[in-house]
Amino acid sequence: MRHAVALTLAAVLIAALARAGLAAGWQGPAVLGIGLLATAAAIAAMAGLSASDTLAARIATPALFGALLLWLWEMLVVGLHISQVLLPSPSAIAQAFTTHLPVLGADFRQTVLRAVVPGYILGCGAGFAVAIAIDRSPFLRRGLLPLGNLASAMPIVGIAPIMVMWFGFGWQSKAAVVVLMTFFPMLVNTTAGLAEAGTQEQDLMHSYAAGYGTTLRKLRLQAALPHIFTALKLNSTLALIGAVVAEFFGTPIVGMGFRISTEAARLNLGMVWAEITVAALAGSASFGAIALVERAVTFWHPSFRD
Amino acid sequence: MKTLLLAAAVAAGLAMPGVARANDKLTLQLKWVPQAQFAGYYVAQAKGFYKQQGLDVTIKPAGPDINPSQVIAAGGADVIVDWMPDALAAREKGVPLVNIAQVFQKSGLELTCRRDSGITSPANLKGKTLGVWFAGNEYPFFAWMAKLGYHTKGAHPDVKVLKQGFNVDPLLQKQAACISTMTYNEYWQLIEAGMKPAQLIVFKYQDEGVAMLEDGLYTLQKNLKNKAMVGKLARFLKASMQGWQYAINHQKQAVKIVMSNDTAGVLNVTHQARMMQEVAKLIPGGKHGLGYLQPSAYTRTVKILLASKTDPVITRKPVGAWTHKVWNAAFKH
Repeated sequence: MRHAVALTLAAVLIAALARAGLAAGWQGPAVLGIGLLATAAAIAAMAGLSASDTLAARIATPALFGALLLWLWEMLVVGLHISQVLLPSPSAIAQAFTTHLPVLGADFRQTVLRAVVPGYILGCGAGFAVAIAIDRSPFLRRGLLPLGNLASAMPIVGIAPIMVMWFGFGWQSKAAVVVLMTFFPMLVNTTAGLAEAGTQEQDLMHSYAAGYGTTLRKLRLQAALPHIFTALKLNSTLALIGAVVAEFFGTPIVGMGFRISTEAARLNLGMVWAEITVAALAGSASFGAIALVERAVTFWHPSFRD
Repeated sequence: MKTLLLAAAVAAGLAMPGVARANDKLTLQLKWVPQAQFAGYYVAQAKGFYKQQGLDVTIKPAGPDINPSQVIAAGGADVIVDWMPDALAAREKGVPLVNIAQVFQKSGLELTCRRDSGITSPANLKGKTLGVWFAGNEYPFFAWMAKLGYHTKGAHPDVKVLKQGFNVDPLLQKQAACISTMTYNEYWQLIEAGMKPAQLIVFKYQDEGVAMLEDGLYTLQKNLKNKAMVGKLARFLKASMQGWQYAINHQKQAVKIVMSNDTAGVLNVTHQARMMQEVAKLIPGGKHGLGYLQPSAYTRTVKILLASKTDPVITRKPVGAWTHKVWNAAFKH
């Protein structure tokens, strides 16, 4: 572990030296040599870290790998003089990020808080409710499930302009798109989950004279939770994609999709990537939060047992 | 058998008239989908003007989210049709575009409003919802708002701005009081959708003093350092302006040629005929002839762009953003 830490430090220092050398105008082969040395040190550090099983080591390995990729990106863009309008360097993106933090915050509020969250809650709620209805009534199962299938196959770039025409330019049309995107995965997963409860357990409930409602609440929904959480995690990423893409088709002048499309047209690629970073962070954070809740609630599931 | 083939090849070679060289290839990237806005180039191609100049021109159409300056930056074109504010912004961002010809001498951009929203003059715009195109077309609007003293951003803007798509639905559905239109395209889409001219009030950016130069031909600076390339561009310019003159004088034929280039099958003859008519009004203007960039018009555009304090399009005065080199090589002998 000590060796791994030392190697990490060495890798970081040599990498910084290579970047500084590039900025100072050192010769190509010299920078390349130093760069290869830094990469070798980083890889050796990661090998050492992956041997250890502590929490620190488990976090450090992917962090170091991510840092290595970012550094390689920076070196290639600056060293090969790639135009900033085609691919900006991570340093340019970081600069755009810090300079325009208020704008990014306003866009986050408009897209995530005002469109994604209501749409997600509505879409997942509707999917869940319809799944319970389908469970109750075989007639609905045969009628609604294929229609749900059809609804999910509609391409978002086709639905979004129609939603804008129906619901206007505000957050309502974006939330509508999110509802349509999250409805079907939730429906299908809940239906599959409700079939999970074992026959023996259901017989036991029957022997206790438990009605449909009690059996649903105390047995079948509990058994369905792993599937439901799968849908919730999937929907968190779909919802963000849906809201951002829907904003390409009509929006007030604030929002992540609006910012990405207009800044890309203005060749401010640094800002585009800053918005992408915000979207990635938001998506990962929501996915991670749902995963944590899932771990707490469905601790009994085999996938969480070591 | 081999002798026969060899003899046939020699005969074919001798039979060709003295072709000194194959036609020079050149790629033109348009600013939008094939339509009468670009009739001149399609006419030059169909009528063989490019061929006469020894050029083999590929015309690439664009569309939503295709930015000509990005295409040329990535090496996908030799010359592009673009609007000056977009080209100057690209130049500042590191894509060294240079104007080699100004095709549209007058601006066709306008803000069309519904009379029943209570708008009679720019003073009434306060508090209204206005649809604006982005992707390089928003600069005259924001310059005009700055001139009128209206704030467009923040929690309590003077006017509510919507990013409009490239259609006229927001006005028809009363989602916006005004929308961006071109004199040659979207205005007529409104009329064709059933609106009467009496129901609409139009503010032309040309009349409001914030008009900026629109369709022009741009290339990368490095192309202008190459003598052969300058020659190619000059021949291209000559044939293109010839195409435009022909299109203006034979509008019906020009529309037919444009329609034959409509691979998507979405163009409507009446709409294109009207577009050709309106575009023909924007092209002529200077005493020097078609395609000549008036330095005073360039300076005016730059002045308006630099004057916008909020959200400036360019922050420095551009240097070397235009040249008469190619135009002179084409037309001054």
